[in-house]
Amino acid sequence: MYITLDGVSRQYGSVWAIDRVTMGIARNEFVSLLGPSGSGKTTLLRIIAGLERPSQGRVLIDGVDVTELPPHKRGVAMVFQEFLLFPHRTVWENLAFPLRMLKLPAAEIEERVRWVVGILSLGGLEKRYPNQLSGGQQQRVALGRGLVGRPKALLLDEPLANLDRELRQEMEVEIRRHQTALGIPFIYVTHNQEEALSMSDRIAVVRRGRIEDFAARTEIYDRPKTAFIAQFVGRSNRFEGTADAGGNRLATRCGARLALPAPGLTPGSPALAFIKNEKLRLDAAGTGAASGPNRIACTVKDVILRGAYADYILAFGERELNASRPRSERSFLAGEPVLASFAPGDIDVFDEKGEQAA
Amino acid sequence: MRGRLAKATTRYALLATLALSYLFLYLPILHIGLAAFSKNANFPYPPRWTLDTFGRLFGNSLYQGAFLNSLVLGIGAGALSTLLAAAATLGLMRHAGRRTGLFLTLFVAPLFVAEVLVGIASLIFNGLFLELQGNLVSAILANAVHCFSYALLIMATQLYRYDWRLDDAAMVFGASPLRTFFEVTLPLIWPGLLGAFIVTFIMAFNNLEISFYLLGATPTLPSVAWGALRYGVKPELYALATAVNLVVVLGLGIMFVLMLTGKAAFGHRPERERAV
Repeated sequence: MYITLDGVSRQYGSVWAIDRVTMGIARNEFVSLLGPSGSGKTTLLRIIAGLERPSQGRVLIDGVDVTELPPHKRGVAMVFQEFLLFPHRTVWENLAFPLRMLKLPAAEIEERVRWVVGILSLGGLEKRYPNQLSGGQQQRVALGRGLVGRPKALLLDEPLANLDRELRQEMEVEIRRHQTALGIPFIYVTHNQEEALSMSDRIAVVRRGRIEDFAARTEIYDRPKTAFIAQFVGRSNRFEGTADAGGNRLATRCGARLALPAPGLTPGSPALAFIKNEKLRLDAAGTGAASGPNRIACTVKDVILRGAYADYILAFGERELNASRPRSERSFLAGEPVLASFAPGDIDVFDEKGEQAA
Repeated sequence: MRGRLAKATTRYALLATLALSYLFLYLPILHIGLAAFSKNANFPYPPRWTLDTFGRLFGNSLYQGAFLNSLVLGIGAGALSTLLAAAATLGLMRHAGRRTGLFLTLFVAPLFVAEVLVGIASLIFNGLFLELQGNLVSAILANAVHCFSYALLIMATQLYRYDWRLDDAAMVFGASPLRTFFEVTLPLIWPGLLGAFIVTFIMAFNNLEISFYLLGATPTLPSVAWGALRYGVKPELYALATAVNLVVVLGLGIMFVLMLTGKAAFGHRPERERAV
């Protein structure tokens, strides 16, 4: 592995902000560290950068143990959430900074800054100061400063959090394109699952200083390993209930009955189930049996149009369910009775500890 | 109509109060300034203009030596206290912790010690333990005590807005800690340092209470003025006071021009270092 974290821990007082993290990241790989705020993902990134020192464990970059190396000797670069451009330097000087630190000859500095100005479309802004740039332009300069020194790895700490939605989606595509073109690992910290899903090869879900799961993005989304991941990634309907005697059915607290693809639950034990919004099929009421397992008769409460698809808010007794259906399907109006159904394989079920059960 | 009259009365009353306050602040200084440029120095109304007193002042070698000594004292104490206070402020800000309040209190506490006491105590201490006789070096050290606390307060108001993560950025991009300081930190905090230096320079330049005990036989402008009083208030003293004030005004003028041209803020404008 190109970058290796080996049993890395970080202690603040009596709190373990990072707890025995071991992971490997390949060259060419785009990895996201996804987790809620305070989960330790930024600390992990700062440990890789050398801005924090691990209390235990080792960090290896390209086969070299860099645990004891200060940040300026590691050859990695970073893009910060607050951009942190040098306010007393122009765009050109900001971009040249990492190259000057590498003591490159002036001609090469000139050439590489020109290159990065080109690929990030910063032409015409070279003489401006950071406070004369828009948020999006500052973001581009920060990204350019990260790429210009051809670092061993680029670490990105929520770089898009301060941008508006449209700009963010544009930058997601661009960041991924640069990563593919340069062939260096990008390690991307975010609490935004959409960003993680849209760009990453693999996603590490971080929770309370630990890696909950580290797997391909499709794996994380389609087959969540823990209840936390099921809750955090994607948008789902959550059910709490009790397993029946056979261990393959779940009677939920709200009155629905779920049939699982295989028995895996301890009979009579409490369990959690998640069904992604887009896995909930909607049919007009009266088609087929209304009250089998994996079928829920409910009423459309509201419809939120999202363009290509529509989000339905459904009333089922006391609670609400959410369904997301493409607009190419038959649409329903608020007040209409509908039958929501789902396949056994689309249920992600977990035991009371949140571990995968079936 | 009555409302308008009341408003006008209030307005003029406030203006009059303001004018009186300014007169109270500046009339004595203006009087001395006027007297320094007049032949009728004792009661210069109306003044009969002359530059004779300044000629006599600048021609007097005692005053020349005293001026140079004051300059050395001001620059020495200003530079020393600014450097020490910069180190202290950077340390307090960079490594803020539970004890920051305690450290800060101990750094600022010398302000509340009477100057005469600082003077006497320094005289005894410098003589006993540093084996320093009364001279400029001894005076510089003693003056730096008060100046340090002032410099710290001036810099702290500047530096609390400094974003230390900029240092992180510089280091990640390959700058050693020393390089980071000179490439990023210093260019962004120098107005605070310069402001602290100018103010502490003026303090030490003007100081009599502390310097008095430590200078020994070395004359400075305030000590010469104090000594000259024994022979009555002469026109040269007016000129001296005015000249000292001009030096001070010059220092403040430099700060003002830098502020006006946007070269430095000295904490004046809460301008953000970067736009988000």
